[in-house]
Parts: sequence; C-alpha cells; structure tokens
Amino acid sequence: MSDTKQPPDRRDFLLKLGTGAGICAITVQAAASMRSLVPNVSYDSPTTVKLGSPAEFPEGLKFLPDERLFVFRDGNTFHAVSAVCTHLGCTVHAEPLPNPQTVDEDGATVKLTHRFLCPCHGSRYRGDGANVSGPAPKPLAWFRLSLAADDGQLVVDLADAVEHDFRLTVG
Amino acid sequence: MRLPTLVRTKPEAPGVHAEPFWSFRPQSDREAGDAIVSNFALHWFPAKISKASMAWSYSFWLGTISAALFFLLILSGLPLLFLYVPSVERAYQSVKDIEFVVTFGSWIRAVHRISAHLMVIAVALHLIRVFLTGAYKNGAGRGQRRQINWVIGVVMFLVTLFLSFTGYLLPWDQLAFWAVTVGTNIASSIPVIGPDVRELMIGGRAIEQATLIRFYVLHIIVLPGLLGGLFAYHMWRVRKDGGLARADAESVLESARPVAVVPTKTYTLLGVARGTAPAVTAKSIEAPETTVNAVPDLVRRAAIATLGTIAVVSIMSVFIASPLEEPANALVTPNPAKAPWYFLWLQEIVTDTTIRIGSFTLNGAFVGGVILPGLLVGLMTIWPWLDRSSSLAAGVWLPRSRRTQNIVFLLIIVFVLALTFVGMVLRGPYWNIYWPWEAWPEIPGRI
Amino acid sequence: MEKRTNSPYPRIDRLIMAGIGIVLVIGTVLFIWSDRAHDWRYYQMEFRQMVAEKFGDDKAVKLPSGVQQIWVADLSRADRCVTCHQATTYKGFESAEQPYRTHPPEPLKQHPIEEFGCTSCHGGQGWAIDTAAAHGEVAHWEEPLLSRSLGESYTLAGNKNALMQMNCNTCHRFDRQTPGAGAINLAKSLVNEKGCRACHVINGFGGSIGPDLTAVGEKPPEQYEMSRLSGQRSAFAWHVAHFKDPRALSEGTVMPNFNFSSEQAQSLAMLMLSWKRNDVPAKYVAGAPRTDPRSAEELQAEAAMKNGPGGWFVQTGCFVCHSISSLGVKSPAQIGPDLSTAVEDVQSRFGVTVDQFLANPTGTMSVVLTRQIVLTPEQKQIAIQKLRDAFAAYQKQRGAAQTTVSGQ
Repeated sequence: MSDTKQPPDRRDFLLKLGTGAGICAITVQAAASMRSLVPNVSYDSPTTVKLGSPAEFPEGLKFLPDERLFVFRDGNTFHAVSAVCTHLGCTVHAEPLPNPQTVDEDGATVKLTHRFLCPCHGSRYRGDGANVSGPAPKPLAWFRLSLAADDGQLVVDLADAVEHDFRLTVG
Repeated sequence: MRLPTLVRTKPEAPGVHAEPFWSFRPQSDREAGDAIVSNFALHWFPAKISKASMAWSYSFWLGTISAALFFLLILSGLPLLFLYVPSVERAYQSVKDIEFVVTFGSWIRAVHRISAHLMVIAVALHLIRVFLTGAYKNGAGRGQRRQINWVIGVVMFLVTLFLSFTGYLLPWDQLAFWAVTVGTNIASSIPVIGPDVRELMIGGRAIEQATLIRFYVLHIIVLPGLLGGLFAYHMWRVRKDGGLARADAESVLESARPVAVVPTKTYTLLGVARGTAPAVTAKSIEAPETTVNAVPDLVRRAAIATLGTIAVVSIMSVFIASPLEEPANALVTPNPAKAPWYFLWLQEIVTDTTIRIGSFTLNGAFVGGVILPGLLVGLMTIWPWLDRSSSLAAGVWLPRSRRTQNIVFLLIIVFVLALTFVGMVLRGPYWNIYWPWEAWPEIPGRI
Repeated sequence: MEKRTNSPYPRIDRLIMAGIGIVLVIGTVLFIWSDRAHDWRYYQMEFRQMVAEKFGDDKAVKLPSGVQQIWVADLSRADRCVTCHQATTYKGFESAEQPYRTHPPEPLKQHPIEEFGCTSCHGGQGWAIDTAAAHGEVAHWEEPLLSRSLGESYTLAGNKNALMQMNCNTCHRFDRQTPGAGAINLAKSLVNEKGCRACHVINGFGGSIGPDLTAVGEKPPEQYEMSRLSGQRSAFAWHVAHFKDPRALSEGTVMPNFNFSSEQAQSLAMLMLSWKRNDVPAKYVAGAPRTDPRSAEELQAEAAMKNGPGGWFVQTGCFVCHSISSLGVKSPAQIGPDLSTAVEDVQSRFGVTVDQFLANPTGTMSVVLTRQIVLTPEQKQIAIQKLRDAFAAYQKQRGAAQTTVSGQ
C-alpha cells in the first residue's frame, strides 16, 4: 500500500548513510575550495617594522625618515608619533621648544619638548601631535610600539593607531 | 511519503504543477513523473526509462562519467581561476604558490589535472563504445537521426582534446612551453594556410604573452562554453531519438506481420510536442516490466556514476602529484621534447614518416600531423552515412553484421595505443628507443 | 490506487551508493590530512617548546604560527624559509642545531632579510614549504642550497662553506675584493694575474680567441660538452676540470694549462658560475654609483662655505636664496638680495631696521619665515648679529679695495 510507512530497516539505514556521507563529503570538498581562496601569506608590504634596539634611541626625539616616524624616549618609556601631515601627506619637521611643557591627556601626562611644522602648507602641530593651526584637519597619529620577541628590537606597527596614553616601558 | 492534499481555491490552469517539491521516493508512477517535471535539474530526463538502457554492462555509463569529469573540472577550475595569473612573468610563480601555500591548493590542482586526463580517456572510451555497439545508427523508431548526435560527439571529443591542450600551456614551465611548441609546429605544416594558422593560434611568431592569454581565454570561457552547449544539444538529441540505441534493440520483437504504430506511445517530451517524433511500432514498450521510473532509478544510477567518479578522483589526487618543471626557457629545449600523451601518437607518426629520397623530402609533420589524423577523423565523422549494416545492429554489442568494421576500428585503436605507448615509454633523448631496462643518460645539472 | 512500477534496482544500487559514500568520506579525510601533514608544523611546535624552556611561556606564545613569508618585491622573491627556520633573528639559539639555529648577525646587518630574502644568498627554492623541496633537492629545480654539505660533496679544498660566495658575486661582481668572499677574491685576483682577457671578453673588453665569458654562468648545463668529463656531471664540475686541464676536456682547444691547484680551480669555477646577466635593481649592486660625481674643487668650495664665517647661514638654509658674499657664501639660486648689505638695504627699502624686519617680516619673507625657516628668538638674535658682522666685513673689504685702488 502506498501510504503505510514501513519501519526503518537496514536498507533505509544504508540509503541514509550513503546519501548523508555523500552530501557531507561534497560539502567538505566545496568548503575546501572556498578555503583555498583565503590567503595564507601576504604580499603586502609589512606594516610591522623593526626600528633598532632601544639603546640606539637617545633621550628625547629620534626621527626615522624611512618609516616617517618620530620616536620619543623619556627614560625607559617610549612612544611614537607619525610624521605624516594629515592635510596632504608631506613629512613634517620637528622643532625643539625652548621651554618644554607638560599636558595631561587620555589620563597620562605627555612631555611636550618639540612642536611640528609642515613645510608644504604651513600646518602646525603641538608636541603630542594635536593640530593647532593651518589646513591640517586631524592630529598626527600615534602608533603602537612593542619589543620584538626574537632580538629585542623596537617594533612599530604602522597599521595600529593608539590613543595618547600609550607608552612602551622597556626593561 | 504522501502528497499533501491541497485545498483548491481556484482552478489550476492546464499544465501547471502546483506542488512545490518533488519526491525522490515516489509512491506511484504519477509522482515519479511529477518529480521529473517539477525539477529543473532533471527536466531533461524521461519519465520512464527502459531497463536495458540502465545496464552497467551495456554502456558502462561512460557518457555520464565524462560529464561528471567535466563537472569536476569546472568545480576545481573555479578556485584556480582566482589563484592563477595568466602573465608570463607571474604564471609560474602563481602555480608554485598554488602548490605550496594555498590551503588544499595542490589537491585542487591535482583534481583538475587528473580529471582532465581521465576525461580524455573517458570520452575516447565512450566514442569506442558507441562505435562498437553501432549506437550511431538509427534503430526501430521512425524519424530518428542518431548520426547527427555522432557528429556532435566527435566534435565534443575534439573540443575535449583542445581544452586539454590549451590548459597544458598555462603553468608556463618547460613541459608546457615545449609541448605547445611541438603541437603548433605540427599545425604549421598544413599546406598553404599552415603558417597563418600557427600565427593565429600563437598570436605572433614566437610563443609569448599573446599565446598565453589566447590559450587562457580559450581554456576558461570559449571551449567550456562550447562544450556545455554541445553537451546540452547532445542530451536533447538522445531524447529526441528515443533514448539509447539499446532501447531500440530491446524493443524489437520478431514479428511475422507488420504491426501498427502504437498511437499512445511516443517519445516526445511529455507527450505535448507535435511533429515528426519517433513513433514506436513495437509492442514490448507496452509491457511495464521493461521500463522503470526515472525517479528514483535513473537518478540513483546517475548519482552513483557521478559520485563514484568524484570519489575515485578525490583519492587519486591525494597520491598523484602534478608535475611542474623548470620555468619556460625558449633557449633550452628539453631532450626529449614530447607532446601531451594524447598527441604522442601523432608525434610518433610525424617522426616516422619523414622520408628522404635523394634530395626529395616528404615532410613528416604534414603526413603524420595533418593528413593521417585528418583522414582518420574525417572518416570517423562520416561513417554513419557509409555504414551499410541493418538497423537491427543498432545498440548491440559486436553484432555479426558489423564485424568487419568493428575489427578494423579496433585495429586502428590498437595502432594508436601502440604508438602512444612507444612515445610515452620507449622514446628517450634524441628520440632514440630506450627499452625499460636501459637507463637514460644523466641530464647534467648546474652544480 | 495509483499505478506503481516496481524496480529491481534499489537493493543493489543503494548498497553501491553507501559504498561510494564511504569512499567519498575516506577521500575527504585523506585530502584534509595531506594538507596538514607538512614538516613545518612539527618544526614550529619543537621551536615553541625550545623557546618556552629557555625564555618562558609568555615569549613562546608570541611566536608566529603558520606559513611565514618574506616577500622582496624588488627581487621577485617570496622566501618561506622562516616558516621552519624561526630562530633566524631570535637571539639565544646560536649553538642549536638547524633549523633552530640563530643566523650570524653580522651578515644580516649589511643584508637585512626584509631587503634580500634568504635565497638570494643561500640558494634553494624559496617558494617551497617542505624540507627537500625548499632545499632544492628535487627534480626540476636548478638552484640547490649552497650549503656546507654540498661543498663537502665536491670535496672543496679550503672553506667548505664557500659555494655561497657564488651568490655574493651576483651583486658584488664589480668589487675588486669583497670582505668575506675569500674564494671569489682569490679567483678575481687570478683573473687579473693570468691575463684571461687576452683571449676572452669579460665585461665588455678582451680578446676574441676564446668565447665571451661575461654571462658564462647562464649557459645551460645541457650545452656543455661533457663526453670527456669523468665523475659528477655538472657545469661546476666541468669548469673545475677545464681549469685543471683544458686539453683533456675540450678537444682542439688552445687554452694553456695554468697548473692551477684544486683550490684555485674550484674558486675560478665558482667565479664563472656567478657571472650572469643581472636583473637585480641598481640599489643592490655594490659599487654602483648612486650620486652624481662631484669634482674635488666643488667639494672643497662646499666645505669652505660650511666651515667658514658664513657657515651659520648655510646651516639654517638662508643661503638657498641669499648670497652673503662678504662671508664667502654663494647662493645656488640667488633669488633674494645679497645679505652682506642687508643692514643698509632693509632700512632703505622697508624703512625699518633689520631687527624690526625679522620681527615682522613682509612679502615673501613673511611666508618663508613662518613656514619653511622658522627661527627661535635666540636664532633671530644670532641672525641679526651675523648680518651686522657681514656688513662690517663688507665695509672692510670695500675699504681695502678702495685703499688698494687709491694707493696706486
């Protein structure tokens, strides 16, 4: 009769096994094809760059032209400010201030020993990167610093912007 | 499973199928037919199929296996499309990346390559089977034109070979570069138009970026599209001709007197098409035990053939690595430089038929590369019109009435296989014969 | 009841289907396994343990996992060696065994990995992630790892590690002597001593009796005549044999036998294989001039300007537009007036003193002094002082000139 349901038997089980296994396998193979499109290696330029050992950085300011970065050192504490002007991307100059000041921001104190000036269109920035005059729309970015695990060099991550309370304490 | 009873609120238009889903375990013939109609993927299956056509030992389901391999090639080709770069500076590097740093990359590439080689073999076996069973012949039905399908099939075989050839070049390594050099040089020996044909294929005088991009576009769009279209037409012709030739053979009964055409039985699509459809004169089609429902039996067997192919290829691809030789270098010819294996019989003939009598040279490339294969393929294509055996031989394995032609055909196949074997196994540097126990001279390395 | 056709197939077909299902599952498991079974996973695990033992778990956790790649776009090299050789820049594993050994730091200072990769010096197949393939010990890869063991297999006299110097010479080809490349240096001095250029063109000039050797390292090994070479068949072995006894190897050659020792012949063979047409960008080629050449007089004049009395104006950049001729400073552009007489000119042109002008500049100077050359108050005082010095010097020179004129 067409509408009596037969109790599940070995045939049904085998059928379900075959179908289920087949569908599983095909799904996994399809997923494998998709996974093959997720890259395992990157051909982009690396954003984490080694800058040298901490001993090579003097107290105060060091400018790194290749990374366009200012690295500040205060004792054993480091922070890094970008030298890329937020207006149209020129590299700003640093100028030492005759009277260093201290400001509080983001819950930490920043010692302002320099100010920044852009030679292209005259933007000016405070020592913590805040834009004070000129066409610059935003402050200079701060980037995350860390120590390389293998040889202890300072490493900057140019893709990881941080707040102004970021400090790297060494040793 | 019972069909749900619908509360009919408005009368259905004739021909509309209201049920949204179909059943793979139909409980009646009507449900089985419904499953065919309401399912896009199965719309080209017949509602009922003769048991004789379903036999493994008749067709070995080689056509389905070929189609499954084509399907696998498309499926494995899709990720490769994203990963491979068709530029002479970057092609080799992109293939190395697929082999090494892409997750499952080497397996996907192996599936693609193994499916390609198996497809050439499967399509060739399918062609051989069709010939040996005389399935290119028209049988019991009126209005059948199976010879058209045969010609379509031969074209599909050539397209398959050309697909494999264009794909062969893409890794841009020494193997690829020189195989294509050999192949296109053979094409250039066609009289009058040869060099122009070669220049058109290569996109210039030397095998360079233009060649690569031409072969790439042919390989990923033009030829697969063509093959897909031909495949659809091939399937449709099978339906229009009344199914496999075996169905015709089974349906023929010894009968002393002429039997009238059965008025209710046609092989038209769902019985709604008019015109010169084959009409069946045999009575056995009336007997229900010679046919089964396509859903689920045909679907199940097709699934077995397809999934079985996928399973076998998947496992083979784990263990058989794809070759990648040195990067292509136009200044260094590998010794020996061999065509892909399915053209090796041609290369063998080319080298053997270069005849020098005094100052007269007969160009082997022309004889072996153009004349001989041209003759063979041409003869094969028009054979259905030259075949004089009776229509009773259609769909029968090795019938007596076709014995001579089958023997000659098999001899030619054996000849081609023998030449392929010689080219693959026995030919070494400078195209000398090296028996399996003789070692090839060591190729020097740099350091 | 509706008609139903019974089919004999389901029993056998379903069995086959189940079997295929199982095979499919096995196949899936197999290919997933084959993707995960690579050497590098083991090496990374081992190294992580070593770091944990030596430096603690928090350092071990920071180790990168997965395939690592150094992509040097200029050289088109993607080197994945650091996937297994994770200790390359990791201080502290100098005496471990490979692949866990730290790379000697001195070569890396001159040749940082990010700019050179690994294979441009060491050879091997950078694309690969399995040991044998990465070391180039597979068919169809022609650059093996130029390791000590390869040197031992050639029984190199002298430094067994010397084969790597072939790759040094790819960039250092035009050096006379390269520190650290002893074998190549020996070979180069031999080339000069023995007069190879008498018969061979090398780098553009030489004789034409023998073949041009400028790109001899590119000659494919298949094109060497090796029928009389005994032992290992390679381009390197051919060159060594050729240097030791040319006439035994090449029939009909007129190249004399220089009686080279094994070490000399091997060094020369390394030099030959290193001579290839280069695709490396100029910045990698040692000794390639990267600045415009300047004459000794120009350099002297520049030094005098910088260190002389007007040096301050050079330092600050004022001299870009202004000459201060009385202090010996010559401006390259001379856009503004000579500042030797600024004390007077500013007064007559603007009606203010130099002090006032610097405090409130007008015109172009206002743009320059607010943007490009911003002077602190101390610097402005220095500027004023220097301008007065310049004026004083100017007056003195003018007075001396007049005295000279009138004294005649």
